[in-house]
Parts: sequence; C-alpha cells; structure tokens
Amino acid sequence: MEIRSGDELAFRQVYNEVFPVVMKVAYHVTYNQDVAEDICQDAFIRFYDKDMSFPSMDDAKFWLIRVVKNLSINHVKRKMRESASLEKVMRGPQVNPFKDGASELILKESTAAVRKAVSELPEIYKTVIVLREYAGLNYKEIAGVLKISESNVKVRVHRARKELEVKLDREEVNVP
Amino acid sequence: MCLDDQILNTYLDNELAEPWKSQVEEHLSYCSSCRTRYQNLLKISDAVKSAELTADEIQPHQDRVLSMIEKNYLSKGKGKKSFLHRTFKLSAPQMIGVAAAFVVVFVGSWAVFGHNNATDSTILLPDVNTTIDLNNITQTRSTDNAATSKSLENYSLDEILKNLDARGYDVDIRLKSIQPLSLEKMSSEVKVIAKIESKGITITSDGLAKDAEGTIIATGVLLEGNQIVASDGTILWKAEETTVIGDQNQSN
Repeated sequence: MEIRSGDELAFRQVYNEVFPVVMKVAYHVTYNQDVAEDICQDAFIRFYDKDMSFPSMDDAKFWLIRVVKNLSINHVKRKMRESASLEKVMRGPQVNPFKDGASELILKESTAAVRKAVSELPEIYKTVIVLREYAGLNYKEIAGVLKISESNVKVRVHRARKELEVKLDREEVNVP
Repeated sequence: MCLDDQILNTYLDNELAEPWKSQVEEHLSYCSSCRTRYQNLLKISDAVKSAELTADEIQPHQDRVLSMIEKNYLSKGKGKKSFLHRTFKLSAPQMIGVAAAFVVVFVGSWAVFGHNNATDSTILLPDVNTTIDLNNITQTRSTDNAATSKSLENYSLDEILKNLDARGYDVDIRLKSIQPLSLEKMSSEVKVIAKIESKGITITSDGLAKDAEGTIIATGVLLEGNQIVASDGTILWKAEETTVIGDQNQSN
C-alpha cells in the first residue's frame, strides 16, 4: 500500500499508528515529555509538508523514526553542552527528571531508576536499546534506521545491556 | 563450551537464525549456568521495557500535536496545507514554463492597460511611444504657486501676449538676427516726425503733411536730400528752414 505523506487520509493513518512509537523514541532519548512532544510535532509537520511517497506504512514509520531519533539526539547534545557550561557557574542540587511531578502517574521507583540508567547510556548504545525495546524494531530495521550493519547492531545491543546491568545493579533495582 | 552474552542477547531478541537457534535452545536445556545468565539478560530487557512511556502518558501528547497539525495544516481546504508552508517542487522545464507564464501575463497586461489606445487590441507588444504634446508634459517645481501647477509652456504665444497686453505691458517680439525694416511702420501709432514751423506744416510717419488746422495738404511726403517733397513734386521744405524733432534716421 503506497503512502502519500501529504494526503490527509494517509497522514492520519500513519499518525495514529506511528505517533506512539516515535513519542517513545523521542522521550527515551531526551527523557523530557514536552521536548519529545515538540520533536514529534516537528517530525510530523515535515512528514506532511514534504508530501513524500512511501512504498509501505513501515517505510513511512522508519522515516519518521529516523527523523525523530536525529532531532532527539541533537537536543540531548545541545542540552549537554549547555548544562556543561552552566554547571561551572552554578552547582546547585540536580533535580531528578525521572521523579518530576509533570506526569500524573506516580512512577515506580524501579521505573525511574531504569529510565535514569537508560538516559546515562552513551548515545550509540542508547539509540539501539531505545529502538529495540521501545520502538520494537528488529536488528535489520535498526540497522536500516541507523545506517549501520546488522552485526554492528548485535554488538551494540550486547554492550548496552552489559552497561545497563552494571548501572541497575548499582542502583539496586529489584528487577522483576 | 558455554554460550557468550552476545549470542544469548541475539537469541533473546529472537534474531538468531537456524541452526544456531536450535543449538542454543538445546544447550540451555541442560546448562544451568547459561540458563541463569540468560534469565538475567531477560530480566534486564524486561526491566528496560517496563520503564516504557505508557499509553496513558502518550495520549495527551498525541491529541495535542494532532489538533495543532489539524488546525494549521490539514484543515486548509480539502486537506491542503497552508500556502506559506507549502514547498514548491518544480522541475526545470516546469519552472521555465511558470516564468514564461509570468512574462506573458505581465507583458499582456501592459499591452492592454499600459497602451494609450486601449481599443487597439491587436497590438500585443508594449507601446510607450506616446506623442509628445503640451498635454502630456507637466512641469512642476516646488517654488510654483500651488494653485497654478501649469507652467508657461501650457499657454500659446498668443495667449501670453494677450494676457500681458491686458495687464498693460507693451511687448516687443522679434526674431533673432533679423532687424525690423522700420519700427515706425510696424507701429500702428502715427508719429510726428517733422515740423516745418515757418509754414505750420506737420509731417507724420505715414507720409502725410498737415497744416496747422490738421488738414491734409500733401501725401506721400518723403525726405529727399535736404528737402521734403510731396508725391506730386511740391517741395514743402528746404534745408535751414526747419526744426526737426525726432531722429531723422527713423523716418527712413
């Protein structure tokens, strides 16, 4: 089924199916829901505006995931540069973004800890883990989105889980 | 030989192809240490998945972004995006076509609206060659009287002369480098050019000689040498008899 991104009907279809996925990607890279929302909005506007043609729903999804992933990583990098220079000036107490009151849901301690651990992963590991666990992509799809080889994906997933294990052990998370 | 983490992770992600997949399953069935290791990796993966942003957390964002896009993009008439946000994609020939269309429209409108004789619709090329006459030229200066923005050039010579004459000016107009033969003859006013006092005769510029009462006594009076002769040959005056008023040269 061909998808025309500038067609309203097709757009709505893609939006309903893909928004939750890209929102997860944006959130688990940035760990800020407002920023993630802005990034998703930006990506879908580009998607609609460019009026592109995709061979299938999945191709449209991968395009959106790639755009959201790039926007999210750019945001994180910019944020890190800013906070690095800001930290020198004010070494105030760090607010834990994973326990903020923005969400109406009271997060479980373990959830907050896991989110923190994922957020602290190096970018290349974080991306594969987010795409694997939250976007539900298989290795081939991850390789396509990140434009790396499948064996590279395999290695990164392995190393990411290794790092997570160490971090979660230190946090003494009761892994279910 | 036991399995390493990478193989277990690949197996966990269901990415291991046959025959390795069956081999791993077989190994796990009897190797308890590998099974424990596998359980650990599974727990990590599950823990990460459990921290996923929930559907309840996603929904408000999904609704908000959609309503924003609907308002600014989708609702613009049959789902077309707003004009300003539209990106125009044109191939080179299309672009040339569009440019040509603009030129045709521009030139066409010029031919129709810019042409003085709008009725002449057969002429498609712009025509700016309008005839230059006084109606087409307006000269304005800031020093001009605001009420009379028309300049002197808007009046004909006759009108100017008439106007000046009405105001009491005596205007002398002459062509360059051409001397008038006689100013006296051009003037309608008859001047007294000579008087013969001993006889009471007055000679005027129109060639008449009159006596003291104003009666014409001779016509065609001319100055010949040192005497004044009428047309019938009568000598009205000879030298050292008169007092000449006016410049004698003028009477010539």
